[in-house]
Amino acid sequence: MVGLSEGEKHFIHGGIAQDIRTDGRRRLQFRALSVQTGVIPQADWWLLVLQANGSAHVRLGATEIIASVKAELGKPSILHPDKGKVSIFVDCSPTAEPMFEGRGSEELSAELSVALQRCLLGGKSGAGAAIDLSSLIVVEGKVCWDLYIDGLVVSSDGNLLDALSAAIKVALSDTGIPKVNVSLSAASDEEPEVDVSDEEFLQFDTSSVPVIITLTKVGRHYIVDATSEEESQMSSAVSVSVNRHGQICGLTKRGGAGLDPSVILDMISVAKHVSQQFISLLDSEIAAAEAEAEE
Amino acid sequence: MKDRHLSLNQTQRVRLEAALHELQSLAPAAASAAAVTVADTIPVNQEDNILKGHGTSDQDGEVVATLCGVVERVNKLVYVRTLRARYKPEVGDIIVGRVIEIAPKRWRLEINFSQDAVLMLSSMNLPDGIQRRRTAVDELNMRSIFEENDVICAEVRGFQHDGSLHLQARSEKYGKLERGQLLMVPPYLVKRKKQHFHHLEQYNVDLILGCNGFIWVGEHVVVGEKTKPTGGQQRFSTEAENFTPLETRKHICRLANAVRVLSALGFTLTVELIIETMEASVSSNAEINDMLGAEFYVQTAEREAKRRADLLRKKNGAR
Repeated sequence: MVGLSEGEKHFIHGGIAQDIRTDGRRRLQFRALSVQTGVIPQADWWLLVLQANGSAHVRLGATEIIASVKAELGKPSILHPDKGKVSIFVDCSPTAEPMFEGRGSEELSAELSVALQRCLLGGKSGAGAAIDLSSLIVVEGKVCWDLYIDGLVVSSDGNLLDALSAAIKVALSDTGIPKVNVSLSAASDEEPEVDVSDEEFLQFDTSSVPVIITLTKVGRHYIVDATSEEESQMSSAVSVSVNRHGQICGLTKRGGAGLDPSVILDMISVAKHVSQQFISLLDSEIAAAEAEAEE
Repeated sequence: MKDRHLSLNQTQRVRLEAALHELQSLAPAAASAAAVTVADTIPVNQEDNILKGHGTSDQDGEVVATLCGVVERVNKLVYVRTLRARYKPEVGDIIVGRVIEIAPKRWRLEINFSQDAVLMLSSMNLPDGIQRRRTAVDELNMRSIFEENDVICAEVRGFQHDGSLHLQARSEKYGKLERGQLLMVPPYLVKRKKQHFHHLEQYNVDLILGCNGFIWVGEHVVVGEKTKPTGGQQRFSTEAENFTPLETRKHICRLANAVRVLSALGFTLTVELIIETMEASVSSNAEINDMLGAEFYVQTAEREAKRRADLLRKKNGAR
């Protein structure tokens, strides 16, 4: 991260106050969004290393994220025999920043993973999760699908959380869970035999998956989709996860500066308003990517 | 600068390819010099005693390229010049750099060169303007002139015997740059010209094209006010009166976006081209941010192809 001189910081503050940021955007305007699905091949006998059931490559300005979803058969937890399992992890590649080499990105990756888990997975009991965990069950109490969602930050220019949530939503829309045929002859205490089909896939319904909108407070104004320069000037940032119905699914506040409660409520309502446009933009991009994939 | 990826629809892609193809055909024949990639053989007359320069190596008696670039020949020397290399300084170049360290009696600047450039305290005018020996007090007050992360405009004074680069900022037009934004483009896009400082009166904007690829676009500062020591944070209170006026800011952002688009297309940056691109965006009523979009990108390529074709036609017609 390059430092900024006082003059440049002053210019950035002035731009945000006057509603013209350094690249001409308004405060509540996103950068150009570009979405590609299916970037990691589906199950392939020859490719032993890299496989995914669903994947996406999302560019938000200069920030690039690759998200992949892998599904494996596993045993459900004893406390929740009727629910599958989902785990989300984020990794920051050293190609994004030299400081991400080795263990340099541990703190940031952990913070992003936890924020995404809170927003998408709901509570410990699986209640309120954006992904319907009951749909992941194969044989109750015995066999379920384990979803491993991985996000990779390839290029970092601010607003990683929003881009990650968008990439995960797109990757889930691209995910196909293989159809499983359970042999009926299994006894109740034995492991049932399952036959994983190579042909038929069930698509995920991602209409209820929320997106995360991060509002960065610089001076007295909030901006959406901050670049890394603008993020270095923030006093605090509030990330709100909103779903299609305008309901709030998660909330994270970062930054040391304190915020008045009325300010937080205002930021939440602004985030709700912005999220509707972002969700519709993302949906149209997903549809376009799917149409292109079918050609 | 990070690469930008644009999603072009089908018509835009076709138009862009047509424009780039036309530009390629208009390029003078010498420009299509042998471009090589790694492991390409360089055609060389074996009888001459060829000196193998940078980017080449001897493989089974043949001269093979080890870099991707253009083959250059100077008398008996054959070497490969890369295109996106680091900046190669020459004495007298105007550069824009960022202070990364304050060392005894000097500042170290980052200028996209293989080493940090050095600006000696003695190569810098003192705030009071008097010509005198630098004392120990001056050395302790270096931070009041330039701090870490400040953006500075200076001139290349020369190379030291150990290869490090020395700068000087003695004139009034050099010094700290404030109230604007710094853009980084590949250095090969900025050619050496007579003028690198451009004061665009109609926009009240200063445009400085550093030869090292750092380009400064900022509010106009009257020459002579640059080296005033800052009184700490007082000048930069976040009061509305102190901000750049809105009209000037719009011009600064438009110029910056014009530079971004032109560098993404790989066109040589000249003031005329930047201003022309900016005026085209104003006349087509494009939003400032739309200048970074796909449509403006394609339009800029088409406009440049047309301009070069017209220039060539005029040259041929004049003969």
